[in-house]
Amino acid sequence: MSDVTTFLEEMTEILEAGAPVTAEHTFGDEWDSLAIVSTIALVDEIFGVFLEGKDLAGCTTVQSVLDLVDKQTT
Amino acid sequence: MNSAILKAVASYLPPQRLSNEDLCRDHPSWTPEKVFAKTGIKERSVSGADETSVDMGIQAAIALFEKNSNEKEAVDFLIFCTQTPDYFLPSSACIIQEALGLRESVGAIDVNQGCSGFVYSLSIANGLIASGSAKNVLIITADTYTKLISPSDFSVRSLFGDGATASLVKAHDGPEGLGRFVFGTSGKGANDLIVPAGGFRNPKSAKTAVVSDGGFGNKRSPEQLFMDGSKILVFGLSKVPSAVGQLLENEGISVDDVDHFVFHQASLLMLQKLGKKMKIPSEKVPIALEYSGNTVSSTIPLALEQCFLMGKFKSGDVVVLVGFGVGLSWAACTIKM
Repeated sequence: MSDVTTFLEEMTEILEAGAPVTAEHTFGDEWDSLAIVSTIALVDEIFGVFLEGKDLAGCTTVQSVLDLVDKQTT
Repeated sequence: MNSAILKAVASYLPPQRLSNEDLCRDHPSWTPEKVFAKTGIKERSVSGADETSVDMGIQAAIALFEKNSNEKEAVDFLIFCTQTPDYFLPSSACIIQEALGLRESVGAIDVNQGCSGFVYSLSIANGLIASGSAKNVLIITADTYTKLISPSDFSVRSLFGDGATASLVKAHDGPEGLGRFVFGTSGKGANDLIVPAGGFRNPKSAKTAVVSDGGFGNKRSPEQLFMDGSKILVFGLSKVPSAVGQLLENEGISVDDVDHFVFHQASLLMLQKLGKKMKIPSEKVPIALEYSGNTVSSTIPLALEQCFLMGKFKSGDVVVLVGFGVGLSWAACTIKM
């Protein structure tokens, strides 16, 4: 299973989404401080990098989180 | 050189509780189940309006001496760890000496550290005993963070509780006892967990009493506790594994040689992620915050007390303690049971 697939599975749980989320998933009210903190821990676990809370707070989609990861890992 | 042993631990939690149901009535976008899933906390112990850290610390010490009746007279040093003292001065430890009826020949100091404070206090006790300056050190931890928390700040209200513990550290001959310590400090993160106003840098004023929105609907004034949860999580997940690595290297042992990792009980999320990151089996990581919340310097001794009561520690077990948080500050040590 690729890292991104694992990430999407875990994000489904963090966002408490009814159906599996895709990279295109747009955040709503569920993108709160606790979801951001959980995402920081998840990204560290899967990709081995730490994202900044304030950068994540500006994200509007799951893809924008993956873009932040890309920026840190490339 | 004399070695030191952690002989006994007792605690006091104030009876008043803030449950997840109470919390969610004030913050309706949350459910009690979700709060528990993320924090691992069902209820937080909350000090009474007139109840201070000193009051709670005395109760914890009374509980300790009830179970260890001969030990009170033997105490020759008192360390009181708090960030919420009764007064700017004198030291709360001096007030506690009188209240407990400890003899006048005791040394008594306050230690101002938060989540790392118990391990720091143990290291001071260890040093006092190793140098022959003391033989029976009483460590009391107590904090009333809830008095510093805005009722409209879910980010910290959901985590912190009040409580106190009392521990006896005694001079000892034998292989058991406190082992090595490692410490760390990152003052550049001082603003990540702080009460910005009320000290001499920013005295209280009409301006500092003004409550404003701190983001995500959390409202607080500069006289109240602020925590940047993201930064504290990153701090924990980066510094704790390296501190543990350093400690184990100094001891010449590996993660597998350790029977229990007693981490500061910051939140369930932090504890689970730390365990996973360091590849520690979950049964080696005690969780002890469900009915008290994050009680700052008291979480590690509360977890130790729970382990003692449940008979989890066997003779010869190696235990690693790691305190980390406000400062930013961290400390870790080993104990051989």
